[in-house]
Amino acid sequence: MDLALTEEQEMLKTAVRGFIQVEYPKETLLEMAAEEQPVTAEPWQRLVATGWLGIAIPQEYGGEGGSFTDAGVLFEELGRGPVPGPHLSSCVLAASAILEGGTEEQKQEWLPALARGERILVPAMTEASYSWAEKDVRSTVRQNGGGLRLDGTKVYVFDAVSATHLLCTARSEESNEVGLVIVPVTADGVEIRSLPGFSWNLAEVKLNDVSVDQDSLVGSSFARGWDALQRAIARTIPVMCAYQVGACQSVYEMSVDYSRTRIQFGRPIGRFQRVEDHIINLVNQLDAARWTTYETLWKLDSGKPATDSIHLAKAVGSAAYYQACNFAHEVHAGVGSVTEYGLTLHTTASRTLYHYLGDPQFHRRRLADALSL
Amino acid sequence: MDFEPTYTPEQEEFRQDVREWLAENVSPDIAHPPDSINITEEQYQLRRGLGRKLGEKGWLWATAPEEYGGGGLSLDHAVVIEEEVDSYGLTIPPYYDSGGRLGGASIMVWGTDEQKQTFLPPIFRGQVRTWQLLTEPEAGSDLANAKMSADRDGDEYVINGQKIYVGSSLGCDYMWTITCTDNEAPRHQNLGWFMIPADLPGITIQPMELLISGGESGAGSGVKNTVFFDNVRVPAFNLIGGENEGWKVATTHLELEHGTGGRIGRNWLVDHLFEYCRENQRNGQPLTKDPDVRDKLIDIYVEAEIARLFNLRNYWMRHSKAEITYEGPQASYWRKMSGLRMSQSILDILGPSALTFDPQWGAAEGHMEAHQRSAIVAIHPGGTADIQKLIMARRIGIGREVREKAGALA
Repeated sequence: MDLALTEEQEMLKTAVRGFIQVEYPKETLLEMAAEEQPVTAEPWQRLVATGWLGIAIPQEYGGEGGSFTDAGVLFEELGRGPVPGPHLSSCVLAASAILEGGTEEQKQEWLPALARGERILVPAMTEASYSWAEKDVRSTVRQNGGGLRLDGTKVYVFDAVSATHLLCTARSEESNEVGLVIVPVTADGVEIRSLPGFSWNLAEVKLNDVSVDQDSLVGSSFARGWDALQRAIARTIPVMCAYQVGACQSVYEMSVDYSRTRIQFGRPIGRFQRVEDHIINLVNQLDAARWTTYETLWKLDSGKPATDSIHLAKAVGSAAYYQACNFAHEVHAGVGSVTEYGLTLHTTASRTLYHYLGDPQFHRRRLADALSL
Repeated sequence: MDFEPTYTPEQEEFRQDVREWLAENVSPDIAHPPDSINITEEQYQLRRGLGRKLGEKGWLWATAPEEYGGGGLSLDHAVVIEEEVDSYGLTIPPYYDSGGRLGGASIMVWGTDEQKQTFLPPIFRGQVRTWQLLTEPEAGSDLANAKMSADRDGDEYVINGQKIYVGSSLGCDYMWTITCTDNEAPRHQNLGWFMIPADLPGITIQPMELLISGGESGAGSGVKNTVFFDNVRVPAFNLIGGENEGWKVATTHLELEHGTGGRIGRNWLVDHLFEYCRENQRNGQPLTKDPDVRDKLIDIYVEAEIARLFNLRNYWMRHSKAEITYEGPQASYWRKMSGLRMSQSILDILGPSALTFDPQWGAAEGHMEAHQRSAIVAIHPGGTADIQKLIMARRIGIGREVREKAGALA
């Protein structure tokens, strides 16, 4: 038993933390949040150049070939920002889907490009009747001469504005199976519209009679797409949970610092037990997220059955990030809601990650299934 | 990271030895009743007997030094023993022994070598059962306000006063207690800890009537007592850590009592409940097929998983000598409050069958009824839930000007 990181992992952690402090200071993060523009200009290019984002991609396909825990270390640090960008959606989730379901040619073509950030492939999964179930995929795809044609509307698509390509779930009109189709965002008939409000990099994607080549079908078969995506989501969730852990840690540190330095009634507000309660609730959420996540990463790395742990980690981790931000707002009161202070970057991210890849209640129900209840 | 002990072939051999030994030495009559107040003298003696045998093998306090009667074994051996004993639903030691666990660890840190030679071997070999005596009518959460007096008289101290919520059914051999050694001295500079033989003249034990005897330790204690000390003469040798030096000893004792020791093992309550809900029907289908029941069972499971991971983390931190701050009281706080939340979920699932141990109408042989009571009582032992939060805040560095450090552990 050893719950410490390895020396290499500690080195990676230190390096990533240093990089993010320099390249993603609060001012940069605030600018990126205000612009509603693709987050793939600088400093994203320098992040890509480190090679770290290929951590979940095997070396034979141009990645770093890291373990799940290695990826967790990287994403925990990214979460501290919170650093936006399609690192999770493209470099982990879409890459895993290609790895799980792609043909050898597709792996050769796509994985090195994703690892190097030359292409950004963003999964477009959910639709108007929001759900993560196969039955709710209504977008259609049909054979059209030597290629495929797609129709449908994808909604709440995370990171779509940063994409060069979309990895769309679509139902075959011929076989009724749900497959994965790669669509360039520049194709005729593709319209991407950022969703305004409290959402974090969510967009609507319209596919109006979009034509793509036959080899855009992942695995050359509709039959393989949905299951490959589910396996990819299962691989991605623990990494996403690590991102949430880093985010909670950052929110926690922000709150502790504030409660030590903000003076009211002649003393730091952290001396008031009402305020202490918020900090304690926050650290309990943080550590619940941390240890459910770490155990899941370890199970995957050591080849143990991990289905129940994956659902547990997502259910706990997404609720934890949401709650951690709420407790932080109770500690900070007014200043917490001032955009410039930076807490709302997390608050906004926490709401979108709450439901991304399934909300806590969804995963609690899947956990019940996994426990054979 | 590795969440499991790595078992060498040698350890797996050791596990086989432990399994075979336990199969030969654990009596089937040893099981506790759901409410430990119903434990019989016979069951208790079976457990003490098992404790003595484990002690002889060095398996009772496996990692304690051999020179003081411990097993001198590695952490990985200790884990194997705990896992195997846990599979019988037993703890180590297999009976309530709070003073042995916490007093033993405190003496390891603060005792003189002669005191270690005297007091530790009987504890580590399972020859004695020791109670801890901390709370007084006027010193609960504020332990430093202990007023039971210990006055020096030649080679002895004379002890007078009263302790409450003490011990268990069926007596003890030693009492590990905190006293006031100087009425005039400032707070925290006026305390002293003693290891006191329970058969000294002047000690009176009077059982208390309580909702249930709580405790988080796993080994149910049965009844709790008030203990009166009336001019009890204790050898000065039995003062641990020095006169008026009791607070530093308390930091070690409390560090462990507040959850820093950590724990590995399952939550048997969750197992009992899941089994009950799989095997019992409502409206013609197993309880587990009712969507509302499933949601509540998952609420309970998630609470228990977080508690398990906090305990496991603390176990590792303690044994790997990682720097500990707020983690001990965090685990304790989580256990206490999640236990209470779980008891409401159980009541939601089972209804009034969770409120009776009637053989016909009570659920799960009375285990659920006992939990409804013990979840409430568990809020206070080893420091209330609020005290756990207070210590967390100090350790995080917000509760006081200077961040509080964890107590010293051996």
